[in-house]
Amino acid sequence: MKLELRDVRHVYARGTPFEVEALGGVSLGVEPNEVLAIVGGTGSGKSTLVQHMNLLLVPTSGEVLVDGVDATTLERSELRRRVGLVFQFPESALFAPTVEEDVSFAPRQFALGEEEVRERVLESLRALGAGELAPRSPFALSGGEKRRVAIAGVLAMRPEVLVLDEPTAGLDPATREDLLALILGLRESGVSVVLVSHDLDEVAEVADRVCVLHEGRVSALGTAAEVFYGDPTQAPATVRVASLLRGSRPEIGDPVRFGETLDALRALQGA
Amino acid sequence: MENPGEGTRPGGSFAVSCERVSFSYPGSGRPALSGVSLDLRQGEYVGVVGPNGGGKSTLVRLLNGLLKPDSGRVLVSGRDPAREPFEVRKHLGLLFQNPENGLVAPFVEDDVAFGLENLGVPREEMRERVARAIRTVGLEGFERREPHTLSGGEKQRVALAGLLVAEPEILVLDEPTSMLDSAGRIEVLEYLHALQSEKTVLHVTHHLEELTGADRIYVLNGGELVADETPERFFSNAELLRENRLVLPVVPRLALGLGFPPAKLRTPEELAQAILTRTQSGTRTL
Repeated sequence: MKLELRDVRHVYARGTPFEVEALGGVSLGVEPNEVLAIVGGTGSGKSTLVQHMNLLLVPTSGEVLVDGVDATTLERSELRRRVGLVFQFPESALFAPTVEEDVSFAPRQFALGEEEVRERVLESLRALGAGELAPRSPFALSGGEKRRVAIAGVLAMRPEVLVLDEPTAGLDPATREDLLALILGLRESGVSVVLVSHDLDEVAEVADRVCVLHEGRVSALGTAAEVFYGDPTQAPATVRVASLLRGSRPEIGDPVRFGETLDALRALQGA
Repeated sequence: MENPGEGTRPGGSFAVSCERVSFSYPGSGRPALSGVSLDLRQGEYVGVVGPNGGGKSTLVRLLNGLLKPDSGRVLVSGRDPAREPFEVRKHLGLLFQNPENGLVAPFVEDDVAFGLENLGVPREEMRERVARAIRTVGLEGFERREPHTLSGGEKQRVALAGLLVAEPEILVLDEPTSMLDSAGRIEVLEYLHALQSEKTVLHVTHHLEELTGADRIYVLNGGELVADETPERFFSNAELLRENRLVLPVVPRLALGLGFPPAKLRTPEELAQAILTRTQSGTRTL
């Protein structure tokens, strides 16, 4: 599916002394089958923006379109099944006595048979490398395990767009890499992924396009290479290394991912 | 010596010492820590890394008396934190992951002063210490700002000032930058590293690049202490990293892939310079 935000503005606490404009007119499309990263400093509006994607927040003005149709005219529960949103620190919402029951909660809301629910739940848990956790209590898990269980709960709805708000914050590097591999796998299977992150090195590994937010507005939008080489001071380490060398060695090109950067640097050394 | 629990490690010479410490959470089949022995000498800066569930947070909670070991002994400045938690907390300040959870007062200076208010410090001295702590973290001019108007990095610096004001000799940092964006992270690390010479620091993190300047790095995995290494040896030990689900940061990983020593090159600038030097016989600079 194609999700589109047109000139979305969001004002919190409108009409009170605490009124604050969190988004000042953002236009952005999520294409089918892509990983779109949303980056920007603390308070730039990243979380506010993604909560418009399934209308958890309704724009103060502007539109959200799903395949060209105004999202406010769609059934909300259907919209939220199709656009799955994983909040920051989703593990704080785990509640059921076992992992399996917790992950079952969302798919049970959609009139599926018990067999279908069970199949989806185990499939989601396995996709996150958490299949063996099914019978355990979510409260006796480590932080990284809880995070994966919480994401599985959203994945079990088989969303067409998966929105992840800082999914790797506080995860160990290997668990983070597993999650990034999952994101790429989802894209392969036709799911669009919107990744909110402040870790540009992880964005470099998975993003097709990057949207930079600054004070509630889009300050850059394009392919990862376009955006990062456009401002190498706000770029992942790979791009910072390559951009320092481009002045004297332009043949290095514009590598972004780790593997392509290492290859380009090796070629430079003639190794 | 037959009885290492008594005498071989006089608590006084170490800022922190753990002897064969074990701990299990109620209802969990597997110990969160088992038989962990480690020491921090006065003035050392020691990193703690390891996978999620490895025991890092449990260790931190044992050090300030939030948890009590099932067996073994913990000493902080010569005291048992489980028996004298309030005394120990005067000597050991703990900085958590998320600064949002710790800020309590309407203004920055009140928040920084909060920790002193229960220690019976005279008012004049309190003013001086608050001003000094705010200076140490570079927040002069922020005294009357409301904490909720600050950036993540600034909030974490307020939280750090709130620890420093009690003048602890030991700081325990539990993933102090994981909620911050890159600007905030760099800013907080700068002030933490400035404290390196005067405090004993235990720094728990997933971001290995934060530990290149540490004296030593402990690796905790599955509740056991599996390594105690210098950063140079640690960053070069691919097997140790892999076994403990640790991943080198991008710059040292690129350096390693290009045949440079990974612990020497920490920043993109250093790596780019090393590549230029190698490819152009050392004559060019950036």
